[in-house]
Amino acid sequence: MGKKETRVRMSLQTLRVLEAFLENPTEQLAGAEVHQRCGIASGTLYPILLRLESAGWFVSQWESVDPSSVGRPRRRLYRLTSTGLRHAGEVFASFNRGVLA
Amino acid sequence: MSQRNERSRRPDPGRVIHWLIHQAARRAPDTLSSRLEEEWFADLESRSAAFSRLCFALGCCWATLVIVNDFPRRVPVASPVAPANGFVTLVDRNFGYFSLRSATLFLIAGLHAALFFGLITTLSHTRSPAAPPNLQNSEVTPPPRESVAFSLDESELNHWRITVPKTVVDPPVQPAIASDVTGDVSDKPAEVTSQPPSRETPTHVVRQVAGGPGAGFPETADFYPSPSIHLGEEGISTVRVCVDMRGRLTSEPTTVKGSGSARLDQAALKLARAGSGHYRASTENGQPVNSCYAFGVRFQLRK
Repeated sequence: MGKKETRVRMSLQTLRVLEAFLENPTEQLAGAEVHQRCGIASGTLYPILLRLESAGWFVSQWESVDPSSVGRPRRRLYRLTSTGLRHAGEVFASFNRGVLA
Repeated sequence: MSQRNERSRRPDPGRVIHWLIHQAARRAPDTLSSRLEEEWFADLESRSAAFSRLCFALGCCWATLVIVNDFPRRVPVASPVAPANGFVTLVDRNFGYFSLRSATLFLIAGLHAALFFGLITTLSHTRSPAAPPNLQNSEVTPPPRESVAFSLDESELNHWRITVPKTVVDPPVQPAIASDVTGDVSDKPAEVTSQPPSRETPTHVVRQVAGGPGAGFPETADFYPSPSIHLGEEGISTVRVCVDMRGRLTSEPTTVKGSGSARLDQAALKLARAGSGHYRASTENGQPVNSCYAFGVRFQLRK
């Protein structure tokens, strides 16, 4: 395994997803919750989440609940990594300076 | 029973949505297939409205296309076995200089160009249709000019001595337009200048000389109606004519001010028609121009 590629192509939707996570960087969000906060359709949202995860900006894990007891499938929860937090901060800082990373 | 059968035949939206998500997840890369299916079914539960669930399922299908395009290069595939449907194989295919995205963009741009070209050619075709044969230019021979022949009996001529007056132009009629000047049969042509310039327009004086009956113009006596001669009708009929640069009528003459006798007015119109080609054209700065003007035809009996 080589070094993980951490560069992510920035789009407006990607920025909106990152913004939703930066509201509370320690919070874990499922795809449905990100959709509720950003309003991004599923066809765009899940590729962005997977892209950010494969770049190391996010980590994901299954919700630690028993599906039979809660009566629904377990959700996949995403969380910002320290690398993702740093990169997202840089992106938004450069974005505020008028230069998109 | 039949209603039950119809209900059972009718596709259940929930089943369609589940089928769509299942198919979308199945077409995803092997390493992500089961994970995405479970994740999408879990997130589907947060939506209650059927339309929203359907949109979510269709979005998952689109997401699969994007993920398949993105992830064979990034996510290491656990098993090198190609999927049976060949979907990933198509995506992995190297297009040479172009990626799948670039090829799609070129395809879309090409379709737009073709559509635009078709639209332009269709519009240009409909806007310039070939002229139908019956609208082709053709030479039209003018209808024969109405010949005005009028003669007086010799007996009548003996009875009455008619003075043959020259065509007299009465006081000018108010012109309708600037170039509409009143005719004048006197030897000295009237000189008309253009209206005083307004504030906005620069000062530009145009010397206009009104036209009128010229050399070879028919004699009034030839058109004096015999009943009018018998009844002793006299009068002046003012006729308005439009004349081109060669002194020919360009439109039908009209009576501007009647003489009081319809016969004399008609005779004046006949005279005006017969004089076509013998009018003096109006001039502007010495150049003959098309113009309209009025002149009076006096019918007077010699006593």
